Amino acid sequence: MTQQDLEAGVPHADVLEIYRRTVPFQAVPEILLGKIAHLGNSAFYAAGEIIYKTGDDANDICIIVSGRVEHELEPQAQARRPLKVLEAGDVFGWAALLSKYPRRLAKAICTEQAEVIRINGEKLLRVLETDPAAGDHVMSQFATMIARDYTVPGLGAMLRKIHRRIHAGDVQGMNLTLYRYQQWLKSPRPYLMVVGFTLFVGFWYLAVEVWKLPRFRDMPGITAVVKEWLNPDPAYGLSIYTPEYYKHIGVSIWRVTQAFFLATVLGVSVGLMLGWSKKFKEYVFPVFETLRPIPILAWVPLAIVMFVATESAVIYLTFLASFFATALNTMLGVESIDESYVRAACCLGAKRAQVFRHVIVPGALPFIFTGLQISVGVSWFSLVAAEMVSGQYGLGYVINTSYTMVRYPTIVIGMITLGFVGYITSAMVRAMGDHLMKWRTRELALGAQ
Amino acid sequence: MRNGKPPLIDSIYWRGAIAIVVFLLLWEMGSLSKVWIKWESFEWLRNTLTAMGFKPAYLPWVGAIPAPTEVLHAWQGVIRDPGYWQSWYMSLFRVMAGFIAAMLIGIPFGLLLAVSRTAHGVGFPVFEVLRPIPPLAWVPASIIFWPTQEMSIAFVTFLGAFYTIVINVVGGARAIDLRYFQAARSMGSSQRDIFWRIILPGTLPSIMVGSAVGMGITWEVVVAAEMISGGGSQIGGTSGGGLGFFIWNSYVGGSYEQIVVGMISIGIAGFLSSELLRWLGHRVTPWLRLR
Repeated sequence: MTQQDLEAGVPHADVLEIYRRTVPFQAVPEILLGKIAHLGNSAFYAAGEIIYKTGDDANDICIIVSGRVEHELEPQAQARRPLKVLEAGDVFGWAALLSKYPRRLAKAICTEQAEVIRINGEKLLRVLETDPAAGDHVMSQFATMIARDYTVPGLGAMLRKIHRRIHAGDVQGMNLTLYRYQQWLKSPRPYLMVVGFTLFVGFWYLAVEVWKLPRFRDMPGITAVVKEWLNPDPAYGLSIYTPEYYKHIGVSIWRVTQAFFLATVLGVSVGLMLGWSKKFKEYVFPVFETLRPIPILAWVPLAIVMFVATESAVIYLTFLASFFATALNTMLGVESIDESYVRAACCLGAKRAQVFRHVIVPGALPFIFTGLQISVGVSWFSLVAAEMVSGQYGLGYVINTSYTMVRYPTIVIGMITLGFVGYITSAMVRAMGDHLMKWRTRELALGAQ
Repeated sequence: MRNGKPPLIDSIYWRGAIAIVVFLLLWEMGSLSKVWIKWESFEWLRNTLTAMGFKPAYLPWVGAIPAPTEVLHAWQGVIRDPGYWQSWYMSLFRVMAGFIAAMLIGIPFGLLLAVSRTAHGVGFPVFEVLRPIPPLAWVPASIIFWPTQEMSIAFVTFLGAFYTIVINVVGGARAIDLRYFQAARSMGSSQRDIFWRIILPGTLPSIMVGSAVGMGITWEVVVAAEMISGGGSQIGGTSGGGLGFFIWNSYVGGSYEQIVVGMISIGIAGFLSSELLRWLGHRVTPWLRLR
């Protein structure tokens, strides 16, 4: 907005009063009305001057401040009374707000000298979008006005829609994040969250280190844990300054990555086959279902026996848990696909491979990603167990050895690190899923209107 | 079908049966390969296996697993052993203790989070921060905290089911159609009525789903907790430490057939308890069966 605009368009109270006399703008909140008034430009017409004629480009809507205007709708508009004399406070030129008519439907001639405020329709819509609730109200007032005063019933429905939220193009990106963050800060949630964490940490501190309650006395206290964690020279040999700490984290992540990758490749392909081919399912699913109820952790000793290297035994256990989750969810995903999609594709001449590539795989994707999220969680779950029972390095190993070596603060460091790393990995899977399924996110966001 | 008569047994059954039989046969053959294959005449295979880092005595992976016939034989021996049944009882007892505690605490807690916005704001973030820590990572901490080993195992099993149940209760309550509340309120229901007549029945299906899933996790956790903590073996001797300990003990003792016996036993126990819960869920939510 230039300096000139600002000076010219400062909305005085009496200017706003003109808007308040009109049908569409009579109940608009002060702030929004101020913004609308900024868009308005005054124009003066002599008696007999044509403001616009039928077929002209429809850019502006007009509000009469003083004078009279004769308004004649073209026959195609099918108005019951095409001719209308407009006076101060009347609004015309609403063709600028119709979605299908970018041109004038009527002829407007001044019958006496007139002052008119012209507002660009496109800009008006942008301004109305900043307050969708009030904007919707303005548009519905326009619809009522067109039907009642101009006696054209059908056209009101063709008014352009006020977009809720931000435009579809901005659904991703910084704007949305920033907007959500602002909304979040306005709600009571962040403050309640602080209360929650304060209660939790405060109870931990008081119970263990101040009150020394009977059972809590033996637990590692929060100050001991934090001191140890941030200590350049840790008493028990593990803190953020020691390279071993990162080695343990790295080993655990590397194991989960291998197992997760293997489970995803195998699980998704087996799951797609189970859902896609009835015969395959009838043969394989019973065996699958026989093995599935056996808890993964019951496999631990057998895995140690089966695999010569402990490393592969740990990865195998982690893999097994993820595999079942991924395969099962993928199968459910394929089965959830609407049969008519497959039929439609076949009717249009798609080959079996094409149906698979363009219908089955994308259709199952939402379920696959649900499965992958479960699978990441489960893989950490079984990794910890596997590392606790067998293995060198890794966070589960840290927790278990710290217990046997009576390094209690290190147990808690291990647990917190594990929770943190586990959370990050599942957030990454979720982010990847959202990225790959942008179409679905947008669908959900728009559907939630 | 071809003669217009329906087939005596549906393909789904005989195919499943064939698959399981083939699976068992392959398992048997694979594991007995160490007996059947004359390794002297397959020197090249032996060399390849050694070169790939496997043990040259049997086929990789499957060769190390005891054969189904051996497992069956071991089972026959173990079935008369009261210690084996004692293991069943111990594990079942721990699972039930943890699970019932999780239900008793988790359902009211979840409902509270769902009903009160303040409680949700205070409690849920802490809950979400603790949730990614796998239950088994709590085992040492829980051994330190609880006075008896029995209680610490029960606590870890409790944690396993607790998170799932709470998440399901909160999710279920949030998914209730808003119009039910509006309708009830416009007809003058009190907060109490809304809770008992709408929120509770509306959440019941997800409570049952959460419980069934939680039951599965409970069995996972109990096995691991028993293995890691030594299964409270001081209570019932070597065979009284639950099925997880039964497996671990068999491994330490070198009787690999018993490992598989233990695995299958836990599989059966877990499957039965989940099915029981599912059946119960069907019984208590009869309106869902109409669909």
